[in-house]
Amino acid sequence: MKKRNVYIGAALMALGMSACTKLDEKPYSEVTKDNFYHNKEEVLSAVLRPFTHANAWAAPTGQLGYWRVSELSADQLAWPQKGRHGYDGGNWIRLHNHQWIANDDNCWNPWRLMFWGMGFCNATIKDLEGLDFPSIGMTNEDKASIIAETKVLRAWHYLKLMDLYGNIPITTEVGVPATPETKSRKEVFEFIEKEIKDNVEQLQKLSPSLVGRVTKAGGYAMLVELYLNAQEWTGTPRWDDCITYCNKIIAGDGGSLSGSIPALEPNITNAFANTNSASPEGLFQIAYDFRSGNFRFGWEGDFWHYRQRQIYNADRDGNNGIVVIPTAYDAFKDNDLRKQQWMLIGLQKKDPALRTSVADSVVLGTEEYNGKPLVFVKEIRRNSEGETGEGGMTRGEENSGARFAKYLPGKTDDPNYWGNDFMLYRLTEIYYNKAEALMRKNGGQATQEAVDLINTCKKRAFKPEDWAKEAYTTTTLTMDELLAERGREFIFEGKRRQDLIRFGKFTTASWWDHKPTSDKYKLFAIPFKQTSINPNLKQNPGY
Amino acid sequence: MNMHKRSTFWAQTCFASTVLMLLSLFAFSQGKQVSGKVTDAETKTPIPGVSVQVKNTSTGTISKPDGTFSLTAPENAVLVFSFIGYDSKEVPANAASNVVLKPSVKSLQDVVVIGYGTQKRNEVTTSVATVKAESFNQGGARSPMDLVQGKVAGLTVTRTSGNNPNSSASIQIRGITSMTGDMEPLIVIDGIPGGNLDLLQQDDIASFDVLKDGAAAAIYGTRGNNGVILITTKKGKAGEPLFTYSTYVQREAVAKKPGILSAADYVKIAGENNNQGANVDMYNMLLDKNNLSHYHNFAASGGTANTNYRASIYYNDANGIAIQNGRQQYGGRININQTGLQGKLSLQLNLATNFNKANMNGGRDGDFEQAVQRNPTAPVTDANGKYIETNGFNNYNPLARLLQEQNWRDQKTSSGDLRLTLEPINDLKISAFGAIVSDEWNDREYRSKASLSSVRDYQGGGYARKANRSEKNRTFETTVDYTKKISDHTFNIMGGYSYQYSTWETYDMSNNGFLTDAFEDWRIDAGNALNDPKLPRPSMNSRKEDNILIAFFGRLNYNYQQKYMFQAILRHEGSSRFGANYKWGNFPSVSAGWVISKESFMEDINVINHLKLRAGYGVTGNQGIPNYKSLITMSTGGAYLQNGKWIQTYGPEKNPNPDLRWERKKEFNIGLDWSILNNRLGGSIDVYKRRTEDLLFDYSAPLPSLVLDRIYTNVGTLSNNGVEIVLNTVPVKIKDFSWNSDVTFTFQKNRVISFSNDVYKATQQFYGDLPSPGNLGMAIRVVEGGPLGTFYGYRFAGFTQNQADPRDNGKWLFYKKDGSVVGTDQINEDDKTVIGTGIPKYLASWSNTFRYKNWDLSVFFRGKFGFKILNLQEMYFGSKKWSPNNMLNYVLGRDAQLNDAPAYSDYYLEKGDFVKLDNITLGYNFHLKTKYIKNLRLYATGRNIATITGYSGLDPELQDTALDSGIDNRGFYPRTRSYTIGLNIGF
Repeated sequence: MKKRNVYIGAALMALGMSACTKLDEKPYSEVTKDNFYHNKEEVLSAVLRPFTHANAWAAPTGQLGYWRVSELSADQLAWPQKGRHGYDGGNWIRLHNHQWIANDDNCWNPWRLMFWGMGFCNATIKDLEGLDFPSIGMTNEDKASIIAETKVLRAWHYLKLMDLYGNIPITTEVGVPATPETKSRKEVFEFIEKEIKDNVEQLQKLSPSLVGRVTKAGGYAMLVELYLNAQEWTGTPRWDDCITYCNKIIAGDGGSLSGSIPALEPNITNAFANTNSASPEGLFQIAYDFRSGNFRFGWEGDFWHYRQRQIYNADRDGNNGIVVIPTAYDAFKDNDLRKQQWMLIGLQKKDPALRTSVADSVVLGTEEYNGKPLVFVKEIRRNSEGETGEGGMTRGEENSGARFAKYLPGKTDDPNYWGNDFMLYRLTEIYYNKAEALMRKNGGQATQEAVDLINTCKKRAFKPEDWAKEAYTTTTLTMDELLAERGREFIFEGKRRQDLIRFGKFTTASWWDHKPTSDKYKLFAIPFKQTSINPNLKQNPGY
Repeated sequence: MNMHKRSTFWAQTCFASTVLMLLSLFAFSQGKQVSGKVTDAETKTPIPGVSVQVKNTSTGTISKPDGTFSLTAPENAVLVFSFIGYDSKEVPANAASNVVLKPSVKSLQDVVVIGYGTQKRNEVTTSVATVKAESFNQGGARSPMDLVQGKVAGLTVTRTSGNNPNSSASIQIRGITSMTGDMEPLIVIDGIPGGNLDLLQQDDIASFDVLKDGAAAAIYGTRGNNGVILITTKKGKAGEPLFTYSTYVQREAVAKKPGILSAADYVKIAGENNNQGANVDMYNMLLDKNNLSHYHNFAASGGTANTNYRASIYYNDANGIAIQNGRQQYGGRININQTGLQGKLSLQLNLATNFNKANMNGGRDGDFEQAVQRNPTAPVTDANGKYIETNGFNNYNPLARLLQEQNWRDQKTSSGDLRLTLEPINDLKISAFGAIVSDEWNDREYRSKASLSSVRDYQGGGYARKANRSEKNRTFETTVDYTKKISDHTFNIMGGYSYQYSTWETYDMSNNGFLTDAFEDWRIDAGNALNDPKLPRPSMNSRKEDNILIAFFGRLNYNYQQKYMFQAILRHEGSSRFGANYKWGNFPSVSAGWVISKESFMEDINVINHLKLRAGYGVTGNQGIPNYKSLITMSTGGAYLQNGKWIQTYGPEKNPNPDLRWERKKEFNIGLDWSILNNRLGGSIDVYKRRTEDLLFDYSAPLPSLVLDRIYTNVGTLSNNGVEIVLNTVPVKIKDFSWNSDVTFTFQKNRVISFSNDVYKATQQFYGDLPSPGNLGMAIRVVEGGPLGTFYGYRFAGFTQNQADPRDNGKWLFYKKDGSVVGTDQINEDDKTVIGTGIPKYLASWSNTFRYKNWDLSVFFRGKFGFKILNLQEMYFGSKKWSPNNMLNYVLGRDAQLNDAPAYSDYYLEKGDFVKLDNITLGYNFHLKTKYIKNLRLYATGRNIATITGYSGLDPELQDTALDSGIDNRGFYPRTRSYTIGLNIGF
């Protein structure tokens, strides 16, 4: 009897156990992929993810991405060591000297960030292709348009990856194949060209409600960049194709953020102001709105001094990183408004709202000039120790180098405070590109059309009384001058490395303390972190 | 919610079945009445609670409070008397009127807690260490783990932030077994897996049992990889009612301060232009020299053999050496035991609770760092009493922060557990166990309008934050345990089921823009940031997670004449955290023991009292990883414009891994226990070999074609081998005087065997990110085939000298890979090399107890050897380049010629070996001739009294239980000596 009861008890226990062997997880505060894409907002929120991700690599927002390696390896900007700050494992010094190796963050991190963004595009395309749009209240036209936009955006990622690495793998589906093989730069070029051309006409025209999105205007601008560099990238020039797409943009075929056709801003500041989301120059930009979206183009970390908020009455300070190379600063004439307005130099004063007394009107240094007025100087050298000469990358101080001021946030009480969009393509660049294509077609000689295009843009940078002396003519606008003028116009915009390579200067020219290097540095190394796990990747020559 | 319901259902089911069986019980007995009394051989006092059993039957009883017993036994029966702490004795029933039990020496009869049951020490076949209350470290313990620090070979307890009352100790058994999962052992308190240490007070703990090897820990399957610490609290005891009161007062005194430059030296180096005229020792101002902690614990216990209890309440006001750094706590613990139904049903109930209020404002590393680097000539306040902020990079006035901000935590922790055990027939025990542990806290923070944070970041409107967290851990377990003795063969079989459901949830909110400081954070809606978009945004967030753990387990024990022992364990366990394909796993173990000293060929060797060989092999797992790791979750990426609205964007957060599974550790342990010369000399030696396979890690993934460059998956293998030696000696034992001396020694070696498979690789991993300024990268690299904790950096080659421009002297020179010597601008990743290891190779401790009449003195030393320390304090603060901040006095000595920014090289590595005089206690036991006081002990303890080391920093004892061990971070919390005076009284 006892035994029987034991058996009954054991049986009951077994019953209880089988009722309780389930191990489901309930993700209370997370959303899973299986539980997403229920409506238009959710669909778009996935479609737009690579755009916010581009903030990390295309714009100078504190990460080592496309922007940083494109500028810090070139002749305008550098991140010198400033006393105990800024050595950062020698990364920026190696970028400046062209000494990077395959096992270097300079090669790895841009790859990581950009392929990550590309992967978002692949994931979205796959998810949306399998989604029944009408069942969630969207149309099949919406579907075609959204997928076309994502494909062009993906092509733009490949375009920028090809710019840095040349020969790269191409994948259009997440996880397929597991270890993709390297394609030659020519194949990558053809893939990008086909992807954009196959999809660009299905995109919408740029309009104010599509600011920040990939529209026809942006797609055409990508083709312009592709064709402008075709000779360098494939060996075959495509100047006419470049001009064709410049013309389409200028004619308004791609739409505009203001009116029916895009237009140059009348001055040099509007395109970068905190209201630039409506700039008629904009063709493709990363859109931000700090007030409504609580998301901003956070350039302060890379550029600003530790006390820089006081200059603007802003809410953040910076890491005192990137400065203008002395020779690049000197490449501007003193009467160039771009020199006066896009850079900070000299004594820095506090915003009037922050001054507590007359004596308290000056921003003070915190390091070599601790407690003394902060005066930015163009040299990068130990002035506080009495050093003279050209200085060097390890010889900076807290006030070394002219500073970035192309984008300004406004004051904290400005309703548009820090609402600046980051310009990826603006109309001015199309003018310059068309002019360059015209000149190159013409054997490197300026045509009047090219001169007019550049002068239209450049004129904004000078006072009317100075302009007569500064305007180009077909004789003064040489190829070298065009490169120098591109530098002045597009400084801080993340385009300099590509320009120097196209003009044959990147590995052959000297600037400041930089000496010419080997042609292998025209491409970054395929990162060791990937070649070590993907046997199908081929290292670039020379690494 | 669902699971919760299901577990309730299951609890009911099981309870019903238990009751059913209960009703079926009846018992009978027959024979002659035997009665007698049991007394202690040494004290001659009666022993209550002794088990008296008729040999080879299930008939038995327990001695009463006065030591007497009576039972019915057959004519020629033999009675077996057994009691914890005494040698068992067999006496013929007709000669049992006066039975004397001898206390066992290093008692082999001691009961060892092994998880879901107990074993006698001499039957243990695995590696289990026990520390009982009498061997605990004395003095005021900040954490229960302080009580056993250094007492168990292979168990590391480290306290990295000095004696901060709001810091916890980090614990590790036998080194690192995981790269991303939990590295701390499972804590089981009175059978509750995952018990909360806050619920334990030092006077409420009876013992710690540490399951070290895989063969022992396999009973806790998926949580066994890091070993298991089973803590048993003091329980009710039958007998005369007993009150105990324990108290101490304690003061912390600074043992070592950082060598900060005096104002005069500072001006010499930083220059007269940085001289602001004052002479301030800010570091000193952050110390509470008059700190005093006190502790009171009052306990009552008593009852009968069938119903007994123990209840205790405590109050503790703990104050650290830093200002605004304290913790007040109070609470209690109740244990009730009842046996009924003719001794066939027993109930054990434990309730414990802890209320504490912690001042989290002070004691932060950041404040002490500011104090170290603050310009010593800068006044604290101006003439108007306004705090003066120095202008340097990242500077703030730490005293101002401490006084203008507040940060409190109000925490309530409680647990309740109930165990019902039914013994329907002798030696068959069926038990059901339910427990709930809850931990809840409210944090509050306020930064006044005048504070630097408010002025700088919140436009002067103050800042308030409130946060709440609630954790609940529900356990239901049931076990069946049956023992069968067939002549010399003893079998024990135990089987069970376990269900655990854990949740945590949080919410957190902050606001700013307050008109007045009057509300502090008590009216958070008064902050105008809710309405004014130009103020920094107020914040709100909430989160919840859950997980489930279900297990079936069994254990078989067999022994033959207590000479040959065998044990086998199997746990089949599932966790919700793993991939759909791999939720369940099996964790088996086998072990065996051979008591050589019981063999006939040993009979004549009288010098050997005890000799036992143990060997075991066990597989355990680790489920200590974050929840939801196998699901494809989406994460946010910032808002982007869609249709005129700014809407959050979402994208895949990780590369999916449906094959995510347990890390598995396979461990082989062989041990020898021995005792010679009348138990005057004894000890044990254990050798283990561990291999953790399927190591979980964020491995590099091919990118493209995956979206992210990392995948959390099982790839690598880690090996971990070691030797543990314990030596117990009694060098002197004469009348009125004895000296006991115990030594533990541990040697350990960790190595990464592999990091890669065909698809995923992690050829090298980096740890120990060196802080700004300079962002010097990672200090520690781990490679396949190499040991953990390897410093990887440049090799120092000297400083530049005799340069044309004297300003260029004192710059770093390093060796490149090819041996050439270059400066910082020519050195790169390829020039780094292995320059040392930060994980101690040898650990040792030595404890001594001297007793002379009523006096006792214990002296305890602890040491760690064979490792290097990366001295970040010197690296950053010991350089002239740290000026205009204040510096450490290295700049006057070893680093006087250095004239360069921080760089990471072997220049800053130092030998870390140390020996500490960790605890010295002098006690006096009063033997009062009064019937009112049973015992009275007065003691004085000093902790962390002296450190012998060559290390130049604050304290060579660093956190060494993590992957970035060996880095002495820039935390300047002072190391202290603690002085305690305590009193224990029983009446």
